[in-house]
Amino acid sequence: MFRSTSLRLAALYTSGFAVSVVLLGAITVVTTRAALSDQFDARVRAESNALVEEYRVEGLDGLIQAVKERDRTPGALDYGVLDAQGRPMAGRLAKTPAPLGWTISRARPDREPVRILTVALPEGRRLLVGDDDKHIEVLNNALLASFGWTLLGVVILGVLGGYALSRDVHLRLAAISGTAEAIIDGDLARRVPVRGSDDDLDRLALTINRMLDRIAALMESLKQVSNDVAHDLRTPLTRLRQRLEAGLADPAERSQALEGGLADLDSILDTFAALLRIAQIEGGARRAAFRPCHLADIARTVVEAFAPSAEENRQSLTLAVDGARTIDGDVELLTQMLVNLVENALRHAGDGARIEVRVSGGEGGAALSVTDNGPGVPPAEHARLFDRFYRLERSRSTPGSGLGLALVAAVARLHGAEVGLADAGPGLTARVMFPAVA
Amino acid sequence: MKLLIVEDDREAAAYLKRALSEAGHTVDYAAEGRDGLMLAAGESYDVIVLDRMLPQIDGLAILRTIRASGVKTPVLLLTALGGIDDRVEGLEAGGDDYLVKPFAFAELLARVNALARRPPPQEVRTELSVADLRLDLLKRSVTRGGQRVDLQPREFQLLEYLMRHAGRVVTRTMLLESVWDFHFDPKTNIVETHMSRLRGKVDRGHACELIHTVRGAGYILREPD
Repeated sequence: MFRSTSLRLAALYTSGFAVSVVLLGAITVVTTRAALSDQFDARVRAESNALVEEYRVEGLDGLIQAVKERDRTPGALDYGVLDAQGRPMAGRLAKTPAPLGWTISRARPDREPVRILTVALPEGRRLLVGDDDKHIEVLNNALLASFGWTLLGVVILGVLGGYALSRDVHLRLAAISGTAEAIIDGDLARRVPVRGSDDDLDRLALTINRMLDRIAALMESLKQVSNDVAHDLRTPLTRLRQRLEAGLADPAERSQALEGGLADLDSILDTFAALLRIAQIEGGARRAAFRPCHLADIARTVVEAFAPSAEENRQSLTLAVDGARTIDGDVELLTQMLVNLVENALRHAGDGARIEVRVSGGEGGAALSVTDNGPGVPPAEHARLFDRFYRLERSRSTPGSGLGLALVAAVARLHGAEVGLADAGPGLTARVMFPAVA
Repeated sequence: MKLLIVEDDREAAAYLKRALSEAGHTVDYAAEGRDGLMLAAGESYDVIVLDRMLPQIDGLAILRTIRASGVKTPVLLLTALGGIDDRVEGLEAGGDDYLVKPFAFAELLARVNALARRPPPQEVRTELSVADLRLDLLKRSVTRGGQRVDLQPREFQLLEYLMRHAGRVVTRTMLLESVWDFHFDPKTNIVETHMSRLRGKVDRGHACELIHTVRGAGYILREPD
């Protein structure tokens, strides 16, 4: 807990605030004291001037009268009048010896020091007007006390708040590190709890969870590939083994067995290559190599390459382009995707089928579709056809690895495109919809 | 021809060496990158067959080194990596061709032969001819025995490739890669159908055929015996 970053930060902030409060208090006290002193001095000087005026108009008796009167008034200042020999004539301050100007007298220990202004009157007499610092001190003490309480409050709030804050942050960070520990220990499904407050820690948790999801998806894909390889390669490998055994047993069949074995091996290697390619595409690394591609050019190349083969099967393969579009992508993969779709149609649409490759582009994005008028596929099977190794019952006997559409799906996903099958009534349409490029 | 094989898998290398020798080539063999580098830099070979992944020195590093020292011998890279980026990387490092393991020996042999007698790159040819077949690269026209042969653009490319490699076997994969730029293997017989159309236009009605099928390997266009 004491090594927690947030607690250290809270302590730092609290100390900072405390120092600020102390500085602010000191400055306030000093400036207030100075301002009050000025004000008191001004009042003393004004009284002194008024009494000098009294003396000038009313003479010595008038002055003494005025001083005596003021002495009787509660809350008034202190006064004193001295004759030319320094003897007291009137007022409480008359016993205090005082040079001209400002002095501070501590004559009476039970009282606050008194600030006295001494002025000379004609004929060597002197007038003293003074006031004690009591008011200033009272105000000062009040200020000091209030700043003291504030300081105490800041420190208490800072410590409590810092503790609460760091405890909260500490708990949330502990949840993240706990999740990481759990994942290290093998609980791969664990995710960082999210509060829904959308603050920085929450966003961090969401990012970490997204990263974990991505890793989980990749792991899942890897696991899937391993399972698929183990499961789907076993059958052809068994066949290969049987052929080789037969060749060994019967020299007459040897060359036929070897030839068949080589063909089996090639088909196994094809499956293997297709699986690796799908895994590579799903890894997403190829997105870095994206370039602008003309879908119509790709479609033209593919249609032109396959049209003669289609004609041999009395099928027709045509291209229709309405609104050609350029998309960001990988030409090689897009070509292979279209080849797989076209080959799928050629293989499954049957003799005499018409197959059309269509490139269309509008505001909503570009689309690439392959439509045939063959027997089609029951809609319930549409989605599953994109799974690895999934094959329709009736196609099991035809050649093919069951990976063609899985690769199509992988390439589409890599390009952020949606791929789907639809009934073309009769026949099947496979459509890849590319998102509009911003 | 004199060939150098740099391959760390001794069994595979021994098989290649024997098969290439049987095909009439003189073969040197290095199991290690360092030895391969020494041989490649010291001797003069017609083609170097270089495994991309070698212990100690990586095949691409060797390739860059020999290219940097001015050796222009054609190099065929062999690799277990089949990714597109791997191929591009290999060609950028100075490789002339790229073959992914596992491969048929006929494929390797055809590619080695194709590399060996490549015309020097400076030589600009405007016309190719084999027997009475002429292909004009500028006008993009073809005649056989003085008679015009009308070809589709792709058929023209196909014939051009065959004529540039006249007398040598070209495989289906080489044609897919160079004519269609397909770096994967379609299950459909597109090469066969295009080739049969091309043969129909070039050879039909002529006493001797120029284009021949080589069973288990590919096609060859050659002068009649």
